[in-house]
Order: sequence, then C-alpha cells, then structure tokens
Amino acid sequence: MERSVSTVLGKAWKRLRGWRRIRFTLGGALFSAGSLAIGFAAVNTGNNLLYLLLGAMLGFIAVSGWLSERILRRLEIRRHTPRGVTVEKPIRLTYYVTNRKRLFPTLAVYLIEEGLAEPAFISRVGAGDSVAVGSENRFVQRGVYPLETLTLSTSFPFGLFTKERDVALPGELVIWPRTDRPVRLPSTPGGRGRSQFSDSSGGAPGARGEYRGLREYRVGDDPKDIHWRTTAKIGTPVTREYDRDTTDTVRICLDTRGEPGDAAEAAIEVAAAAAAQAYRAGRRFGITTCTSDLTPGGGSGQLERVLDLLARVDYDPSAPHLAPPIDPMGCILVSLSGARRESYGAYIDPVGSSGGAPHTHAGLTEANRRAG
Amino acid sequence: MSLELLHRRLVVGMGLVALAAFAGGAGFEPTSSIVAALALMVALVWQPDSAVSLRLERVWLPVAAVLVLRSLYHIFLIGDDVVIPVVDLLLLLLCAEALRSLDAPNDARLYSLTFALLLASTAYRPGVLFALAFTSYVVLATLALVVGHLRRAAERHGVREGLVGRRFLVGMAGLSGLTLIMSGVVFVAFPRLSRGFASRGEVLATSIAGFAEQVSIGEHGSRIYPNPEIVLRVEFPDGTPEDLFGLHWRGRSYDRFDGVRWSRSSGLPPSIGPAQWYETWGTGRVRQQIYGAPLDVDVLFALHPLLGARSDNPRIQPLFDNAGDHIYWGSGSPSYEALSVADRPTATALREARSGFSPARRHYTQLPTLPQRVSELADSLTQGLDNNYDKVIAINDFFHTEFDYTLELPRTAREATLDYFLFERGEGHCEYFSTAMVVLLRSLGIHSREVNGFLGGQWNDFGQYLAVTQNEAHTWVEVWFPGYGWMEFDPTPAGAGTSEAVTSWLWPGRFLFDGLQHRWNKWVLDYNLESQSGLYQRISELLGAPSSTTQITTDRAPGAGPSMGWVILIVMVVTLSGLALLRRSRRYPPEVHLYLQFREGCRRAGFRADEGVAPLLLLDELAKARHPAHSRAQAVVDYYLRARFGGQDLNDLERQEMKKDLVDVRRSLRRTRAPSDPPRPRL
Repeated sequence: MERSVSTVLGKAWKRLRGWRRIRFTLGGALFSAGSLAIGFAAVNTGNNLLYLLLGAMLGFIAVSGWLSERILRRLEIRRHTPRGVTVEKPIRLTYYVTNRKRLFPTLAVYLIEEGLAEPAFISRVGAGDSVAVGSENRFVQRGVYPLETLTLSTSFPFGLFTKERDVALPGELVIWPRTDRPVRLPSTPGGRGRSQFSDSSGGAPGARGEYRGLREYRVGDDPKDIHWRTTAKIGTPVTREYDRDTTDTVRICLDTRGEPGDAAEAAIEVAAAAAAQAYRAGRRFGITTCTSDLTPGGGSGQLERVLDLLARVDYDPSAPHLAPPIDPMGCILVSLSGARRESYGAYIDPVGSSGGAPHTHAGLTEANRRAG
Repeated sequence: MSLELLHRRLVVGMGLVALAAFAGGAGFEPTSSIVAALALMVALVWQPDSAVSLRLERVWLPVAAVLVLRSLYHIFLIGDDVVIPVVDLLLLLLCAEALRSLDAPNDARLYSLTFALLLASTAYRPGVLFALAFTSYVVLATLALVVGHLRRAAERHGVREGLVGRRFLVGMAGLSGLTLIMSGVVFVAFPRLSRGFASRGEVLATSIAGFAEQVSIGEHGSRIYPNPEIVLRVEFPDGTPEDLFGLHWRGRSYDRFDGVRWSRSSGLPPSIGPAQWYETWGTGRVRQQIYGAPLDVDVLFALHPLLGARSDNPRIQPLFDNAGDHIYWGSGSPSYEALSVADRPTATALREARSGFSPARRHYTQLPTLPQRVSELADSLTQGLDNNYDKVIAINDFFHTEFDYTLELPRTAREATLDYFLFERGEGHCEYFSTAMVVLLRSLGIHSREVNGFLGGQWNDFGQYLAVTQNEAHTWVEVWFPGYGWMEFDPTPAGAGTSEAVTSWLWPGRFLFDGLQHRWNKWVLDYNLESQSGLYQRISELLGAPSSTTQITTDRAPGAGPSMGWVILIVMVVTLSGLALLRRSRRYPPEVHLYLQFREGCRRAGFRADEGVAPLLLLDELAKARHPAHSRAQAVVDYYLRARFGGQDLNDLERQEMKKDLVDVRRSLRRTRAPSDPPRPRL
C-alpha cells in the first residue's frame, strides 16, 4: 500500500516537474530579493510610490512568467539523428521546429537532451514559421543512448528566470566503436585455391562473378546493381546478386564471454577495425558474437550493420559459448581469453602481449606469409 | 540598428526618465541635472570605442572619489540632507556607464543605477511628472530587458540575423501595459498595514508650510519652505465675496497651551454659543461649495461662523464637536456645501457685550508658567481700556504695528521661545503672533483660543474657483464675546497669505495640470488604509453586496431589481463562453479551418452549403452553376480531403497555396452569387 502511494506520488511529482520547472537566474534572484526589500520598505514607511514600484516589479515577474509560457507553447519539434556516429567524432542532432502559434514568435529557446552537454539554440521562429537548428556533441564511449525527453528551456523575456518544459520525443543515438585501431587482416590467396578464411570459393577480387539471383536491396548495396524493372513492378527496391558476393569473405568471431571493461571495449574496437579494413579492401565480411550473428555482406551498408551490432553488444561472463555458423577455421577469432583459439583459422589478441596494438597470431600470420 | 546600439539607447532612455522622475520630486538641481541630462543625451548618439572608453574611465574615477568625499562631508560633518549628494554620485556613475563602449558587459549596472535613481525620487513627494516618468520607465525597461537578453543570447551563439523588428518592439511595449496594470492592482490592493516598525522615526529638518494637527512654536535652525499643494478648491455659487484673499478658512481650535505646543483638552465641555447668536451678526450669507483634498485630519474647513454643512456624498457625515469645530466622519476626500454668516457685529455692539454665557473658564484662560513681564506687557497695552473688545483691538494693533512677519525660523532653541519673540526678536511667523495674542488676552482674563486653517487662496479664472494651497496655512485667534460667540482676530502683520489672481494665458494648461496633480496627490501619494477601505466599499456597493452604509441610506427593498453583481456575472459568463467557443473553433487543424471558411463563403453566396453537405457535392453545385470559382475551389477541396481523410500532412508550402486559393475563391464568391431559382410560372 505504502509503495503504491509512493509510486503514485512519485509519478505525480514527475509529471508536475515535467510540466514546468522554474529556476532563478542570478539576476532573477537579485530582482526577487529587491522586490522583497522594496515591499518591506513600502510597508514600513507607508510610501505609496514604493508600493507602485513593488507592483511594477511584481508585474515584471508576472509578465516574465506569462511570456515564457507563451514562448514554450505550441512548438512542433522533430528530431533527426544520424544513423550512427563513431566514438569521439562530432555528432550533429538536427531539430526541425515549427511554431504553431498565431501571433507570438518563439525566441531564445534551448533544446536540451538529457545527458548531452551541448544544447541546440533556437534564436527565433516567427509565428507559423519553421526552422532547423542543430547541436554538436561528442561521445567517448560506444553504445546505444536512448533519447526520451527533450527539454525546452528559456529565460526569455527578461533573463530573470529559466523555465523548462519536457517534451516526450523518443529516439536513440547509436555510437559506433572506433574503427581506426591498427589491425592486420589475413589476405586471401587471390584465386589460387580455397582460402583458409573464406566460407566459399569464388572469382578474383573485383570480378563480378556469375549472376545468382535477385534479393531485396539493403542500404550500402551498389545502386548500379538495382534491378529497376523488378523494382518498378513490385514497388520495393531489388538488387542483383552475383557469385562474387560469396567469395573472399571475412568472418569475424567476437567472443563476448567475459567481464565488461576497457579490455572488452578494446576487443570490440578491434572487431570494428577488422570489419572496416575488410570493407576498405572490398571484401565481404560478417560477424558472429556469442548472442548474435550477422551474415556476411559487402559495402558500406554492411559496415554500418556490423558497427550497429558492435554498438549494442554487451560482455557477459554467463553468455553462451561462441558458435560460428561455419567451420571456425574460416573465422578470425577476437577474444580476450583466447580460449579455443586453436579451432579458429586466425586469432587476434585485442590487447596484445604488451597491452599495445593487437597482435595477429599463429596460423593466420604464417598462412599470410605463405600466401604472400 | 544593431541590438547593441538599440539596447544602449533604451537603457539611456531609462536613465533620462529616471532623472526626470527625480527632478519632478526633489526639485531641479540645475548643475548636476543638466550635466547628467546632457551626458545621457550624448550617450544616445555617441558610443565610444574601447580605447576611448578606457580613457574616459580615468576621468570618471577621480570625479567619483570627490563626490564620495562630498557625500561623507554632508553626512558626518554638516549633517545635511544626504540624498542630493548621493544622487549626484549616482548620476555620475550612470553617465560613466552610459558612455562606455557598446561591448562593455554593464547591463546589470545600468539597470541598477537607473532604478536606484527612480527609487531615490520616491523619497520626496514627486508630482504628476513622476507618473509620466514611471510609465515611460516601465515601457523602456520592458524593451531594454528583452533586447538586452536577446543581445546576450545572440552574442553567445553567434546569431547575426535580425531578432527584433519594429512590430516586435511595439508588441513588447504593449506588454508593458500588463506590468503597469499589475502595478496598479498591487498598489490599490496591497493592504496598508500599520507601519513604522523599523522606521527611524525621524523627520526631515526642513519645515514645510502646511496644515498640521498641532500648533507649536519652538522649531528653529531652518526656514519654512513653501508647499504649493492645493488642499481646498472653493466655489461660491451665490457670488464671490469681496475680500477674497482675506478669507479665513477655519479649521481647528486649540484651548491648551503648554508654553510650546497647543493642544485640545480631552474633557472639553460644550464651548459654543447657540446658532441664533451668529444669526444676529447680520443677514448676509456666504454659500461655499468646497472640494477638499485628503489631509491627516478630518476637518471641514469653512468661513467662520459656520451655520451648517452638508454633503451629498453618503460617505461623508459632517459633525461638530464641543469646541464648535466642524469635522466629518467617513472616508475619502471631503466635498461639501457650507453656509456661513458674511457680516460681523459692530464694534459698538461688541463693546457692550459684557455679560452672558461664557465657556468654561479653566479651558480658555489657561496659561503655562510665563515670565512676569508677559502679563505686565498685556496690562501696559490695555491700560485705561474698560471693555474686552478695545483690549483685543489694542493687542492686535500692537502686533500689526510693532512686529514683522518672517518665514525664517529662530536660529537657536533659546530664540524660539515666546518670551524671546515678544521682547527680543520682534518678528516671526503666524503661530508666534496668534500664540502671543492669546497668551496676552488670557493673562487679562479674556476667553480666547488658538485657531488654525488657511488664509486666502489663489483665484482660478478659468475654473472660477479659489484654490487654497498649503502655502496659505495660517493660525489666528478667536475671542469669546457673550451674546455673540467666538469672534476671530488675526494679529499677524502683512506678509502672510498674499494672493493674487492668476489671469495669465498659461492658466488653462496650469488648470489642467492642477487637476491631474490633484488626482495624483489624492489617489496615489495620499492613498491610505482609509482610502483603501472606502474604495473597497465602493466596489462592494457596485457589485451589489449589502453594506452597512447602504442599509442605512437606501430603502430599496431586497430583490427590487437586478443588482450590478448579477449583471457583471452574466457578462463574465457570456465572455467566457465566447472565448471558449473561439478556442474550440481554433482547435480545428488549419486545413479544416480553411475549408470551413470556404463553406461559409459558399453559404453566403447563396449555395446550399449546410453542415451536412459533402465537399464534393458542394463542388458539384459550383460546377453546375458554372461558377468562376469552381477550379480554385476544387484545389481547396482537394487539399482539405487529402489532409482530412487522406492521412497526409500538408507542408507549409501547400498550406500557403490552399490559403491563396481560398482567398481567390472567396473573392469570386463575393462577386458572383449563386443563380436564383428560376421564377415559377404564374397561374
């Protein structure tokens, strides 16, 4: 019973706080203190002109409250977030703000996202007008940051008080791990037989290969491969798939069994760097973790999918064992513990023996040397 | 104009109006006020760059130091009024800040200095100029605060485009009306509680002319400064008396003198003669219509002897006390009609008035301990005279011939005594003369008392009334004559109460200004708990609430007619309903609102466009009539259907297009109405 009462009260308080919050600015605090002093002097001396001044000061406070309320009302806000951005790179959030008021412009309003340092600033939106404003922030850790509430804050018109209003605007920010860690991927034999790290054989890199069929278009696919006739017929984009797409594939196996921490983050960044390197080399690549699997693909869309997955991945000591869908000998293992490394075609130690750049070990290095 | 420049000009404007408010209250201090006004006006048009601003600061600092020393000198060494030197310092700082470069972060300082100047002006009794300055200050402050806030925000975020336009500024200036309304509401409604729980309890050393509850002598070290506040406006419906400027507007009488101060005895027995006595003075009457300003005392001023006073204002109830003084019960400024006797008994008659009823001896012959030479002086002045009237005249003449009038107060406490006035100084103001005469008369056993009020006034040709100001405050003497009552005598020699008719061409303006000033004083400066309760009572009467006064003064049966309260309630309900309907109509999305306008236009043009008619049917109607608006109407309906039923949000461009089409359609519908039904064949 007590708990339910406190829950109800908590919800009511949250709703009340979400409705409006008012804080003094330094000037506002001094102004209010001055009003009190004038009021005291008026009562004490009976000087009617002091009552007049007191009234004017209270009038300024009332007008400030009323006007700031008008400013924050009837604003329609849409937020545009980039699909993803890499850690420590600036991320720009764009807000499309429409002022639905008939008469009042909206001036000097901050749009504050919870947890983000830099707010966006609306200098002016005329009545019935729309503007786009943005804010730039940087994240130091990969992950998925939920955006739930946008806070509208203004100290207009007089800078005496700051009034805040929360607007529910659900969304999320996906912060990808770094992809610039130095990682050396094993190169493929270049058509001289089955690659140790490929899950199928195919033509030489860069060759188109034989036509295999049509599939749904995915972001990052080459637009030149879109089959326009079929696309027009069924109304959704469809792209051609060639045999080449299944050759020269890098499958990264990230072992996420373990404690979260800096080392785990380093492993994730190594996996991301490996995927980025495969993308730059024009190779197909996929990733398997203890809890998820992304089938190999190519292009920037695939890289984004891999990075999305890596942004969301969590390290967990009780996670199931890594189980790649293909022969582990065709996979590159990225693991902190290095367990069962012998089963994999290659192994990357994310922190290296000296804790510096990751090292590629064993058969992988040897195989590359032989291939070279 | 950049935001920086606009903001600076607005703040300088605030400084100028605050200066005007101060000049309107404390008086015009020529040097500092003119220099400050000039400097502020320069700041309106010239803003130095940073280098010049720095150089100017080097000039301001030593000047400010000198002014600080001057203030300290005034406070600690000569104990003079400290407000003026402090305000001089304030003005210097204000000018220094106003003449800094535009990029100086001194907004808060400028606001504070202008406000401090406005605040300083309330220490005085500023006239109606303060009202104008205060209103301007609120408007300018509203604009300056808004522009200053936007300016700082724009600077912080590097915003360059114009944030404020002329329309915006006009709107913001209009909003200051809300501040002024709030100010007025707080002013009227804030309870005027008991005061002074932390006040210094001191009065300024400066003496100001004016009517006071008590009459006293003994003030020294200063002079009596004029006070032009109008306290009475008197009209004479039956014609203006001859000696207009010698009229004594009697107020209060005092029976007890303690050597310094006159007061009224608490247990005073009835000390007035019957009304018939005064009627025997003569048949001449003076009717006066008097409009009084609210004073600290509830006294009805009128010419002596007053036969009666009445007021049409139900809140004013004329009364008279045992001393025969006319007072009133109620609130607000008194307006009343007074009827007085115009004639005076002859000297012969007064010489013969020797026996009859006399008021209580102990009250009207009471004297404090005085030097022996005072009574000796009275005896010497009246030696050989056998009746009271001649004795009174002798003493009266003595003051007129041997003494001079002056507004300079005695220099020391020793010189402020009555004895010193009579035997050493030989000059003084009215309170000395009247006190001295009463003391001399009482030492002879003649019943007499001190009376205060006003003498004369200024004739307003334009308004045909006599304006009596505080400058005309005066005291004189009343002497009792059995069978005739109290007769007034004025021992003060010429120099007091000199008035002149104002006939200059400036008077219409002055008359208007006087009216404004009168209302300002009455409703603002002198607004008090009594005025407040009077106002509340008036409001409650307006709203129909029963009050004690209305129950007594009206005999309207309950429920005899709709009260004002009901009328106001109905008006409020209707207004609120209208607003609710208006808001409801605004709840529609813009496209629906536009379509409804289109439908209404069709209906007015004679088409069948009731609520049940579908949009496409309406279009058919237009098509059948081959109405020129049809094609545009089709576009309007198309937009509406898309937004209303197609689940598509119109973008701004489309909404603008819809609006344009609607304007064309409505114009066309106004020009070309629906064809009327074909005339039926006559049978």
